[in-house]
Amino acid sequence: MGKIEWAMWANEQALASGLIYLTGGIVGVAGQLKGWEYAAFGIAAGVFVCLLEYPRSKRAKGTNYERTGQYCFTVCVKAFGPLTSNYYVRAFLHAALCVPGGFMLATVLGCVCLGMASLIYLSAAIHGEHWQPIMPKSEPAKSVTQSIKHPPQNPPPRPPAEMRRKRAEDLESAAYVNPLPVTANE
Amino acid sequence: MCRSILTVLRGTQQVNSRKARRLLDKSKTFHVVCGVSICVFSVVHVCAHLVNAVSFSVRYSDDFPALNVAQHRGQVTHTHTHTHTHTHFPGITGVILVLILFLMFTASSYSIRVCNYEIFWYTHNLFILFYIILMLHVVGGALKYQTNVDTHPPGCIRTNQTNSSSYTSSNQVPETQTKAELKEMPHITVCKEDAHFQHHFPQTWLWVTAPLCLYCAERLYRYIRGSAPVTVVSVIRHPCDVIELRMLKSGFKARPGQSYFINILCVCVCVCVYWFQCPTQNKETFGVHIRVLGDWTVSLLVGKQRKSARDQILLGLTVCMCVCCSGGWSQYRLRRLYVVWVCRELQCFYWFANLLCDLHHKLWEENRPDYLNIRLYLTNTQQLQSFSEERFRLLSSRLLIGRPRWKDIFGEIGRSNQHKKVGVFCCGPKSVSRELHKLCNSFSASGTVFEYNKESFS
Repeated sequence: MGKIEWAMWANEQALASGLIYLTGGIVGVAGQLKGWEYAAFGIAAGVFVCLLEYPRSKRAKGTNYERTGQYCFTVCVKAFGPLTSNYYVRAFLHAALCVPGGFMLATVLGCVCLGMASLIYLSAAIHGEHWQPIMPKSEPAKSVTQSIKHPPQNPPPRPPAEMRRKRAEDLESAAYVNPLPVTANE
Repeated sequence: MCRSILTVLRGTQQVNSRKARRLLDKSKTFHVVCGVSICVFSVVHVCAHLVNAVSFSVRYSDDFPALNVAQHRGQVTHTHTHTHTHTHFPGITGVILVLILFLMFTASSYSIRVCNYEIFWYTHNLFILFYIILMLHVVGGALKYQTNVDTHPPGCIRTNQTNSSSYTSSNQVPETQTKAELKEMPHITVCKEDAHFQHHFPQTWLWVTAPLCLYCAERLYRYIRGSAPVTVVSVIRHPCDVIELRMLKSGFKARPGQSYFINILCVCVCVCVYWFQCPTQNKETFGVHIRVLGDWTVSLLVGKQRKSARDQILLGLTVCMCVCCSGGWSQYRLRRLYVVWVCRELQCFYWFANLLCDLHHKLWEENRPDYLNIRLYLTNTQQLQSFSEERFRLLSSRLLIGRPRWKDIFGEIGRSNQHKKVGVFCCGPKSVSRELHKLCNSFSASGTVFEYNKESFS
């Protein structure tokens, strides 16, 4: 296969598994099932994973598809630098977070799904991918002079001066009134 | 997703009603709705199983040990021993099913389909595994039913039972009563034998088998049809990274508006994508236009062996081109065709410039000059561009600079075709598509009805 972007798929998986982990944790804690401490951990881990995975990475080539309102999350995730941009770190982090979920029935699914996402992140890291923030493009302000492409070089065509001048023999047909009386050329 | 069957249905006289045909056009939406429903109900199912696990644990039955799934009372809620409730067969199959569903669901999102179509394609083919495991899911399950209700009715008294602590208060029998006295009491029945329980018979296959067989038949048909080789007659390079492939396949007649699944074996093992074909002057061959976007399209150009796959966007408006170019418009009840083509670069219009001009001349000779109305819009307003060639004069006179004003176009079409049905076929980005859809639904002046149709490639 050509250039598959594994990280995109891993991101979708991790976000979905974070939600599953969170749901399982809530069920475990609410039902006071055996091992509810693991469920409580599952809630915290689920929320953390969702927040980490919400901002999508910038693609190496092609159009970027941002998630709604992801800019503030992008800023937070970007602040951690190599900890969040390196996918090896993410893969091991997800693997570590998913282990406690395996000890409790309600969070088992979250554990398995997060484990899958961790494996795909590992694959992305091996392929040399890394997380890049999608920053909004600042458009340069359009200067007003640009819109005037080629101002005219010459004045508009007009008849010669003799035609425009008021003629003494025909004052009524003139288009304007002189303040001084018009006399013929001597 | 049985596209061949849908094509056959659409082509037959049985499905004559426009409403029915538009319903068939929404097959992909229906598929998505089914998929989402499966996910939602799977979540409900898993939650129900969790509640069941708690129930089995709390109501552990000492009288009927065969009914229990929990290993002892309070296994899930109270005690500290490790839980193994989900290591029996349905538990394992259930987890595998959810995992497969999870993989398929996450790979089906819009961004993944557009960016990495092959991830979507290969994970979606896991559905076969999903269906097989689904049919085995209920084998040896937790749900049982009693087989001998007549000989052991609910609430009957066992004769060898000395303490009645596990019975309900209505069945409380004082220890002093003898067996004979018990038999005489009218509201108490004595159990003739112990209760027998049996697993429910798997019934999933009843629901799943018929559609699965239909789909397998469809895939077999496609495989047989696709096994005949196709010869590439010519490859024409157009400006702006577009190539046109002219192909020939024996015993195959291309019809307008068809989509094709092309499997190019020399370039990659199996990447199959849909293309729309454009009929050529030579009726034997058919052609497709491919935009060179990813590595495999580039390798198709240079003829080298390389691994494949990328997203590929076909240029728009080939659907309507096919209808008119085929020359068989009499069978399609089409009165007039408006082609509105919006491009950024002038070079892009050269892809179909020859075709448009030939078609126009053909219609002119057949005395139908008002059949085809071409409008070309160039959105790149940086410099003045126009067709310099003499033979494309009719196109340069129909070239307009700037984005089209859809409302004005709709108004004009509506005025010229009052009280008629106009089908709008849109192939382009989502923003344009949404705007057109809204206009079609809201436009009511001059009594014209606009029907919106959209083509999607993901």
